[in-house]
Amino acid sequence: MRKLVFLLLFSISIEFAFSQGTAQDSAWIRENYFKTETYIPMRDGVRLWTTIYAPKDSTQKHPILMTRTPYSCAPYGKDKWRNFYAGYLRYYVREGYIMVTQDVRGRWMSEGNFADVRPFNKDKKTNNDVDEASDTYDAIDWLVKNIPGNNGRVGVFGISYPGFYSTMAAASAHPALKAVSPQAPVTDWFMGDDFHHNGAFYVMDGWDFYSSFGKPRPQPTTIGPSGFDYYTHDNYKWYLETGALKNILKLTGDTIAFWKELYQHPNRDAWWQARNARVALYDIKPAMLVVGGLYDAEDCFGAWHVYKALKEQSPNTNSHIVMGPWYHGEWASNDGTHLGNVQWGSNTSAWYQNHIEIPFFDYYLLGKGANPGTPNATVFFTGANEWQQFDQWPPADTKDQPIYLQTDGSLAWNTPTTKNSSSEYISDPAHPVPYTEDVHFSRTREYMDDDQRFASRRPDVLTFETPVLSEDLTLAGPVTADLLVSLSSTDADFVVKVIDVFPDDFSYTKPGPASVRSHDNGTAYPMGGYQMLVHGEIMRGRFRESFEKPVPFKPGKIEEVKWAIPDVAHTFKKGHRLMIQIQSTWFPLVDRNPQKFVDIYTADDSDFTKETIRIWHDADHPSKIILPVLKQ
Amino acid sequence: MRILHRLILPVLLMPALAQCQRNTNEGDFVKNNYDKQEVYIPMRDGMRLYTVIYTPKDKTQPHPFLMERTPYGSGPYGDTLYRRSLGPNRTLMHELYIFVYQDVRGRYMSEGQFEEMTPARDDPHNANKKPDASGKQTDESSDTWDTVDWLIKNVKNNNGRVGIYGISYPGFYASASLPDAHPAIKCVSPQAPVTDEFIGDDANHNGAFFLLDNFDFDNFFDIPRPTPVKHYSGNLFRANYNDAYKFFLNLGPLKNANKPEYFNNKGKIWNEYMAGSTYAGYWEARNIRPHLKNIRPATLLVGGWFDAEDMFGSLRTYEAIEQQTPNNDNHIIMGPWTHGGWAGGGWNRFGILDFGQNVNDYFHDIETKFYDRYLLGKDSGALPEAMIFETGTNKWKTYNTWPPKEATPIKLLLMENNRLGSPLPPPTNALVPVTIRKDVSYDQYVSDPANPVPYIDGIHGGRDNQYIVTDQRFASQRSDVLFYQTDPLSADLTVTGRLRPDIWLSSSGTDADLIVKLIDVFPDTAANPGYQRLVRAEVFRCKFRNSYEKPEALTPGQPAEIAFNMNEIAHCFKKGHRIMVQLQSSWFPLVDLNPQTFVNIPTANESDFQKATIRIWHDAAHPSGIALPVMQ
Repeated sequence: MRKLVFLLLFSISIEFAFSQGTAQDSAWIRENYFKTETYIPMRDGVRLWTTIYAPKDSTQKHPILMTRTPYSCAPYGKDKWRNFYAGYLRYYVREGYIMVTQDVRGRWMSEGNFADVRPFNKDKKTNNDVDEASDTYDAIDWLVKNIPGNNGRVGVFGISYPGFYSTMAAASAHPALKAVSPQAPVTDWFMGDDFHHNGAFYVMDGWDFYSSFGKPRPQPTTIGPSGFDYYTHDNYKWYLETGALKNILKLTGDTIAFWKELYQHPNRDAWWQARNARVALYDIKPAMLVVGGLYDAEDCFGAWHVYKALKEQSPNTNSHIVMGPWYHGEWASNDGTHLGNVQWGSNTSAWYQNHIEIPFFDYYLLGKGANPGTPNATVFFTGANEWQQFDQWPPADTKDQPIYLQTDGSLAWNTPTTKNSSSEYISDPAHPVPYTEDVHFSRTREYMDDDQRFASRRPDVLTFETPVLSEDLTLAGPVTADLLVSLSSTDADFVVKVIDVFPDDFSYTKPGPASVRSHDNGTAYPMGGYQMLVHGEIMRGRFRESFEKPVPFKPGKIEEVKWAIPDVAHTFKKGHRLMIQIQSTWFPLVDRNPQKFVDIYTADDSDFTKETIRIWHDADHPSKIILPVLKQ
Repeated sequence: MRILHRLILPVLLMPALAQCQRNTNEGDFVKNNYDKQEVYIPMRDGMRLYTVIYTPKDKTQPHPFLMERTPYGSGPYGDTLYRRSLGPNRTLMHELYIFVYQDVRGRYMSEGQFEEMTPARDDPHNANKKPDASGKQTDESSDTWDTVDWLIKNVKNNNGRVGIYGISYPGFYASASLPDAHPAIKCVSPQAPVTDEFIGDDANHNGAFFLLDNFDFDNFFDIPRPTPVKHYSGNLFRANYNDAYKFFLNLGPLKNANKPEYFNNKGKIWNEYMAGSTYAGYWEARNIRPHLKNIRPATLLVGGWFDAEDMFGSLRTYEAIEQQTPNNDNHIIMGPWTHGGWAGGGWNRFGILDFGQNVNDYFHDIETKFYDRYLLGKDSGALPEAMIFETGTNKWKTYNTWPPKEATPIKLLLMENNRLGSPLPPPTNALVPVTIRKDVSYDQYVSDPANPVPYIDGIHGGRDNQYIVTDQRFASQRSDVLFYQTDPLSADLTVTGRLRPDIWLSSSGTDADLIVKLIDVFPDTAANPGYQRLVRAEVFRCKFRNSYEKPEALTPGQPAEIAFNMNEIAHCFKKGHRIMVQLQSSWFPLVDLNPQTFVNIPTANESDFQKATIRIWHDAAHPSGIALPVMQ
C-alpha cells in the first residue's frame, strides 16, 4: 500500500505529459473552487487536519466526497492545489463535488496518536472511546453542519489504507453518509493483506512499508519520514543476507513500534483478531461499492472479503463489488490495458471509472442518473478479456470441481489410481525460489501475472498440467488447494500457483512494450508458451489446523494441508493448458520458513534447514486443487 | 562456425551497408575498380573447385592475392553480380589486392564430395601427394596448394604472393593451408578457426555435446548436395521454437533427434557426430593441431573472448604453432568479441559491457599491417607477439609470450559457507587468507535431468550469445548450483592466462557433467550493483576425466578429481569486486543432458536419465579449487 502513494504521483506525472489541457484545467479549478484547511474537533477534543475543496457555485447544493488517509492531505498550504485534473477525479470537480481529505488521527498534521489498523470498538461508552468509525462520524457531522451549500449527502472512498478507513466510515452509521467505496481495503493483515497471507509473513512489503511509515511522529508535521537505506538494491540478496527475521528487528531497535509488536504476535491471537476490519461490518446503512484488483499484490484479499463479510453479516446492505484485472490502485489510473506482458484488450480502468464508480456516487450523492441496480458483482474475466455481471459472487453457475495431481505430472478430473505415488523436492532456505525473475529493488507489481517458466525449470518447483484444453475453461470464485504432504522436518510453507499456459504459437497482434531485459535486445517478450500466473497463494503449514494454535508436522507422516487461494476470474482458452506449480519458498516476497517448528520471529539463522518435501498423489492420498468452474 | 552464416549478415553486412551510405557506395567501388571472373580450378584428382576472382582494374603494378576458402558459398554468382565489399576490411579493398573466394570441395558450385572437417594427411609432400589406401590423394592442404599454384600461374598481374584468411569454418580452411604450404603463401590468418570439435570448438567441449548449436546448424548445413548448386534450399526439417529450453527438454534423449520429424537419419554429419561418442577415431582425425608442424607462412590468430563457438580454436591453434614451430612468425590477437565480431565496422559494447572505444579500429589496423607487410612488402614494424584486450580495465595489452610468463598461478580453494579463498599466506594482498578444513567437508546438490540449469535466464529461441557475459544471479539462486566467493578484493587482481579448475566430485550416479563458471561480482555500489558477470565458463563430462578416448564410470560416492584447462581470460577483477566460482551439473540446452548413468549418450534411453546427488568436496584430503594465473 505504500506503493500507492508513488503510483498516484506517477500517474499524475504521466497525465501531465500527455494532457495538454492540464494548465487550463488547473486554472479552472482555482477560479471555480475554494480551498480551505481546517482542524475538525473530535468528541475527545483531538483535532484532525482536513482539507476542503468546495465549489464557488452557490446556485445549487453540492455533495461531499471524502477520503481519510494516513498518507497526508498534501499539498499543504492554501495556495497549493491538488491536481484533480491528473485523472478521472476531474469529473467530480466538474460536477461540483465538495472534495475532502482528512489526515487520520496521529498522522501528518492531525493531532492525537496513530494506531495501525485501529481496532473497531462496537461498545463505545464515553467520549474517550474513539476509533476510526467515531472519527469519521464526527468529521461528517462537522462537514454537513459547517460547509456552506452542501446537500447533506456524503460519500467516502479510498484505496488501500484509505480503503480501511472507508470500511470504518461505513460502520460510523452517520445518517448523512449515503455511499461508501472501500477500494483494495486493508482488512486482515494476518490472513491475506499486506503483512501476512495465511500466517506467512510478507516481509519485503512489510519492511519496505514500515521502515519508513512506521517511524514515530511526535508532532503534527507536513514532512514525511525518510526511507531505509539498503546496502544493495538487489532485494533477493538483501533479504537472504540479512537472514532471520530477528536480524531485521535489530535494524530498527525500538523505533518502529508496530514492527516490534507484530513480532510478538506470530499467531492469529486476540490482538490480530481485533485488527480484522470485518468485525465492523454489521448492519451497514450506506450503499457499498467494493473495488479491487484481481492482480493486486497487496490487498486483493481485502476487497473480496469485505464484500463477502457484507453479504454474510449485513445482508440487507446494498452491496456491490467490482473486480478488474488490476494492480493495486490501477482502477484509478489512466491506463488499464495491461499488466506486465499480459494484455486485457481494452482500457479497463477508464471503463470502470465511467461505468461503475462515477454513476454510483452520482446516483447516491447527486441524485443523478440511473439506480446502479440490485446488488451485484461486476468482474473482469482475464483470458476471455471481458466484463461480466452477476447477481451474486461466486456466480450461481459456479460448481466446485476437484482436479487431481497425477503421477505423470498431469492434472485430471479423476482421482489417481496408482498406489504409493508422490513427488518430492528439497526446499533449501539458502536457495529459496524467487518470487519473480530478474533482479529488482522494489517488489514488482507484475509478478502477479509474470511468466513462471523460470520457476518450472527449478528442481524445487513441482509442475502439473492438464492436456491442451479442447474447450474454454472458466474459473469464477475461490480456488482451494488440498494437498497431502509429508515432510522430513516439522514445518514447511506451501505455495500453490494457478497458471495459464499459452500455446507455443501464441502472440499478440499488437506486441507489448519491448522487454527491458538487457540481453533481449529490445525485442517483445516471447509470449508463445507463456506461463501466466493467474493467482498464487501461500500457506504456512503449521497453521493447517488452526491459525490460533499452530501444530508441528510429524516427520514422514502424511498430513493434509488445505487453504484458500483468493478468488480468480479467468478463462483458460481452448488450446491453452492449466498448470499448477507447487513450491515451498517465494522469496523475498514471503519470509523463509526455518522448516522446523520454532517461533519464526525469534529464530536464529542456524535454525534454517533444508528439508525434503513430498507431495502425494495416489489413490489413498489424492492431492487436489478444487476449481470453481463456471458453466457458460 | 555454426552461427556465422547467420551472424555474418547482421554483423558484417550492416556496418558495410552503413558505410555504403556514408561514402558514395562501396558496391560501386568494387564494380569501378575490380573485374570479376569465375573459374573452375582443377585439383590433382581431377575434381574442379569453383573460384571467384576479383582482379584490380589497375595494371600499373602487380598485386598480391588474399583468398578465403569457404563452405558457405562464394557468391553472388554470375558475371554481373558483385560482392558489396571485398576482403577482410575496407582498407585492404582500397589497397587493391586480388580477392579470391573459393567454394571448398563438395560445397555450392564445387565438384567432389564434402567431408566434415576433412582430416589432414601429413604425408607425402603436398606437391606430389599420392593416393592413400582408399585411393584418396587430397586434403584441404593439397586443395589449397593446387589452387594457389593455379592462381599464381594463371591470374595476370599478380606479385606471386598469397595470403589466406577466414573466420570460423573458413578459419579451419585457413589453418589447413599451413601444413606444407605452397611457397607462394606468405601469411595466413585463421580467425576463430574450427580446430578440435571434441575438446573445445562447436560440437563438443571436453566431450560434452553442444546440442542447441549443432541441432540448429546441421539442420541447414547437412542438406545433401548431390550436384553443384548456387543455392541450398531450405532445411532438413522444420523446428520452430521460441523457447529452446522447452523444445529440447521435450525432445528427450539425444537419439530422438533422429525421429522422422527431425533428422530422420538424413543428416550425414549429425550421424557421424552421434557415432563419435569418444575422441578416438572420428574426432581425433579432425583435430588439425598435430599437423601444424614446420609452418613457414607468418600467422595471425584472431579470436574473441566472447566467442561461443571457436574461442578454443583461436587460442589452441596459436599454441600448437608456438609449440610445434617455435620459430614461426606467429601472432595472436584476442579482443572482446563474439564469433566474428571483429569483422564488422563497429564494436563498442556487448551486453552491459562498454569498452569505451571501437575495438575494431585497433584490430583492422593490425590486420592491415599484417597483410601489407607480408604481401605488399610494406614494413611498418614487426607486430607484437600477442595483442590482448583486457576486460575489466578495457585496455589493449601486448605480450612477448602468450599466455604471459609474468602470470603466476594462484589456487583459490572452495570452502564451506560459500567461501573462496587462498591458503596461508596469500600470494597477493588482494586476497584474505583462509584455512581449509581437515575433517570431512563438502556441499551437495541434486542434479535433476528433468529440471536442468538453464544456460541463461529468460526465454530464448536460438542460442543467445550474450549468455557468455550475462548476470548469473538467476543461477546462484538455484539449489542445484553451488557458489563460492571471495571477500571483496582489497586491490585490483588481474588474471591473464588459462584457468585450471581442480574439483573433487562424487555422485550417487556413474557419470556427471561439471560446469565451472568464473564470475566477477560487482559491488553493490556499481552501476550494475551486485551483477554477477560471467567471465569464463566451461563444461567437463566426467567420464573423460582420465582419457578422452576411454571413458570411465564414476564410482558412486567416491570422490574423483576433475581437473582440466579452461580457455584463457585477460580480466581485471577490480578492487571491491569479488571473485565467484559457480559449479553446476547441467547447462541446458547449450549442452545436452548427461544421463548421470554411465551409458553411451547418443543411444541412451529416457530411463537412463536419472537424478543424482552431486557432492563437491572441500577438505584437506580433497582440496577443490581453481588455479588463476595472476599478473604480478
